[in-house]
Amino acid sequence: MIRVRSLSKTYYVHKKAPGLMGSVRSLFVRKKTPKDAVKAVSLDVAEGEILGLVGPNGAGKTTLVKMLAGIIFPTSGEASVLGHTPWERDNEFRRQIALIMGQKAQLWWDLPAADCFLLLKEIYRIPDEKYAENLEYLSTVLDVKKDLNVQVRRLSLGERMKMELIAALLHEPRVVFLDEPTIGLDLTAQRAIRDFILEYRERHKPAMILTSHYMEDIERLCKRIVIIQDGAFIYDGQLDDVVKTYAKRKVITAHLRKQDGSLPERRELERFGEVLEETDLQVRLSVERPRVAEASGYLLENLPVADLAIDETDVGTIIEQIFQERREQAE
Amino acid sequence: MTRYARLYAYFLRFSFSRAMEFRLDFFFRIFMDALWYGVNLAFFWVLYRHSGLLGGWNFDQTLIFAAGVFVADGFHMTVFANNMWMFPILVNKGDLDYYLVRPVSSLFFISLRDFAANSFLNLLMALGVLAWALIRYPEPVGLDRIAIYLALMGVGFFINYTIHLLFLVPVFWMHSGEGLRDIFFTLGSYSNRPDGIYRGWIRRFLTTILPFAIMVSFPTRVLFGGNVGEILLHMGIVAAVAFGVLLLFWRLGLRAYGSASS
Repeated sequence: MIRVRSLSKTYYVHKKAPGLMGSVRSLFVRKKTPKDAVKAVSLDVAEGEILGLVGPNGAGKTTLVKMLAGIIFPTSGEASVLGHTPWERDNEFRRQIALIMGQKAQLWWDLPAADCFLLLKEIYRIPDEKYAENLEYLSTVLDVKKDLNVQVRRLSLGERMKMELIAALLHEPRVVFLDEPTIGLDLTAQRAIRDFILEYRERHKPAMILTSHYMEDIERLCKRIVIIQDGAFIYDGQLDDVVKTYAKRKVITAHLRKQDGSLPERRELERFGEVLEETDLQVRLSVERPRVAEASGYLLENLPVADLAIDETDVGTIIEQIFQERREQAE
Repeated sequence: MTRYARLYAYFLRFSFSRAMEFRLDFFFRIFMDALWYGVNLAFFWVLYRHSGLLGGWNFDQTLIFAAGVFVADGFHMTVFANNMWMFPILVNKGDLDYYLVRPVSSLFFISLRDFAANSFLNLLMALGVLAWALIRYPEPVGLDRIAIYLALMGVGFFINYTIHLLFLVPVFWMHSGEGLRDIFFTLGSYSNRPDGIYRGWIRRFLTTILPFAIMVSFPTRVLFGGNVGEILLHMGIVAAVAFGVLLLFWRLGLRAYGSASS
């Protein structure tokens, strides 16, 4: 449903020297420097798939989403969404997509959401019956039926976001772009929106691209992710495989029974890896994958272990490590 | 077309609901515009104490012209002005995004979304002044001429909107539209005076390239025996060319639109 090949976007930005002289100089001479926001990226997204786009601020996530939604023109490359070139913006394409931006409101601030939905019904030419059915379904699942006639500005952030989702999905789009849909929401609202997105995916099978800084969004909603940094993809694959590919270590936690004797020398433990914690009740080691069995055996043999857990490093930490390593390499 | 009419009906409904919320602003605008009408009428009254004709028109004719200026201003303020005011902000803050993903003309949406309901009463007031000026005009004016006058005033409104937006579209590249906006308002004052006062190349400039002088003056000429065909053709060509140029720059502007990072 979404096909992207070698898509790039370069902005030209001018840099001003600091101070008054810099401002005066920039009045007459401006040197524009190119900034590659997206660098020759390629991807495919299938029907019913939720692709997670992960990256730090300024990585190019939103630029990519906006190109695919037809908002901005690329510098080069190709993209096809539902068989249409997005930036040609033909109505048939725009009728079948939706864009939800957590940081920008599409609803009219001073009006009840129900009024805005009527306008959208007209814009998307939604038949009366379909409109009533979809509004009933969406407002029930999102639990905002009672708030439909309340002015948007009087709603809480979470309720507003739910109304934004209804506004975006009333016309049953086949492709949905979600740009940080849970930003700023409390945990309950975040969970409600995640549950809703999954429910909606089950029911309508749209292709979705999700960008989020919250790893919980990504872990809960996406099987496949793309990691983007400085405009380039550095990983495109299954979320689970990120751990296998990049997590070189595991964390072993040994919960200990009460004991009289002393713990092994720290040096002994450090033979296996990094000692994260060492108390009378618990020992935690970060160990390279090939040495996990050996280290576990040592702990079981030499300590009064009541329970032993071996954990993967969480995805968020791994991704952060990847960014950090690449930043250091670049410097 | 009917779909766009229905969409506009929604815009009207929403705008009226919203305007009622801000009562003080509602009455303040009426007061300000009434003051502006008074100042303009007084200006012409003072001029005609020293001269019998201005640009070939006597006081009664100029009064109709001035009333036409009020109507044109009232219409622009009511239908377009809020939208024009918001447009550079939408571009610079990246808020144009949602308009571009909708399956309707973005130009239609941007231009007409906000109907200034609190200026609407001023438009009615201006139409009242126009009716009064026409009734008190000492010579007979045929209904057919009045109908053509009103139709041409509509063309004048359209030209004014087109030129206004043309002055704002560069914001896609410049990111600050304040200078051009101020130039538009300065040049706009040329439409508040009878076109007969302009001569030579200034006249040619103000009736073709930047056609501020034709917006109200040309329709008014029809009421006083002006050549209908000639005026119709002139205004029609200017409107078509101006709109064509606007469409071209609009498309180029959207290509240059960079949105804003979130």
